[in-house]
Amino acid sequence: MGLEYVRISPGFERYMPRDYVDLVKFGQFGKQVDVMQLGQFKELVEEHPMCAGCYMAYFIRVFYAALPNPEDTIVLGTAGCARLALSQAAVPFIYGNYGDTNAVASGLKRALTIRFPDKVKDVVVIAGDGGLMDIGFGMTMHSWFRGEKFTTIMVDNEVYGNTGGQESGMSPKGVQLKMAPLGKKFDKINAVELAQVAGCVYVARISPTNPKRIAKVIRRAIYAAREFGPTFIHAYTSCNIEYSIPTREVLKDAREREKKDFKFYEWMTDEVKEYLEEIERKEKEKAKQEVK
Amino acid sequence: MYFVAEVNEKECAKYNCKQCVLFCPEPNCLNYKESGHTAWVWYDRCKGCEICVYVCSDLLKRHCIEMVMVKSGD
Repeated sequence: MGLEYVRISPGFERYMPRDYVDLVKFGQFGKQVDVMQLGQFKELVEEHPMCAGCYMAYFIRVFYAALPNPEDTIVLGTAGCARLALSQAAVPFIYGNYGDTNAVASGLKRALTIRFPDKVKDVVVIAGDGGLMDIGFGMTMHSWFRGEKFTTIMVDNEVYGNTGGQESGMSPKGVQLKMAPLGKKFDKINAVELAQVAGCVYVARISPTNPKRIAKVIRRAIYAAREFGPTFIHAYTSCNIEYSIPTREVLKDAREREKKDFKFYEWMTDEVKEYLEEIERKEKEKAKQEVK
Repeated sequence: MYFVAEVNEKECAKYNCKQCVLFCPEPNCLNYKESGHTAWVWYDRCKGCEICVYVCSDLLKRHCIEMVMVKSGD
């Protein structure tokens, strides 16, 4: 895309849908919003058909607010719950076949680098545990082995939520689900360690209990992917339908899981650390100057 | 007929905390007005998940949000 495509041609304002006009006037294109300002600007993602109280929807909402450069970002998704909200956002969205998101993203990122050599274009894959760790496992792994420069975010609801509740490789051991009544016999895949071994330069595991931290992790992953190589975020986004969590207690569940197996974890290579510290120092200085 | 969240703006304005807005899963559903220092709900977008009630009542003990029934024509 790019900013010139976002702006409305003069004279056409009154023919454009209200939501679009709001997006251009009060949205986040062309300026950097802080995630703590949520609720005070028009968000990129619109109303979506995800279930009430879905924390995957919450993660996606924070993800779009945290994007460092939404007008130059392309998001890829695949079959699964996440695509229902991803496709409702004002950021180009590509729907890969089940499992091939990382292969599509590899080609796309390479093509964008050739087509726009003087611009930074971010490519971000957001897919579920089935799309990345079960069915798309091979393509995810190989994109990391090749060192492709884009971000992969796994929104892990630990179940195939769209198709009635089959167990996935990421379901915890022993859990009984609607379409897996015998209980899962194997351990949860350790995706974070796999990513580290496979060559990711920045790896994080989070539970969505702190919007500021989610935003920080997402921005770091995108910045690191621009320069160094693949980055990976493993986010716990519970499925309140298949795991029968009352909607009121979804955040409580996320907080409890954070204390158990979804403790915040962040790992990066030394050169990435230096690079990110430099960027964050510059951002802080800029923010200070704006306050003055 | 279904439930939506409603903010007691008079109570909410005392705290100026904005935490419910930060934890709502729906985009632009719970919003924040600078003028009154209070959160407000865009009723058409609310799916009635009560996460904001959990944040306001159970976590912060401020009891500013309650669920109300929406009738046709509201």
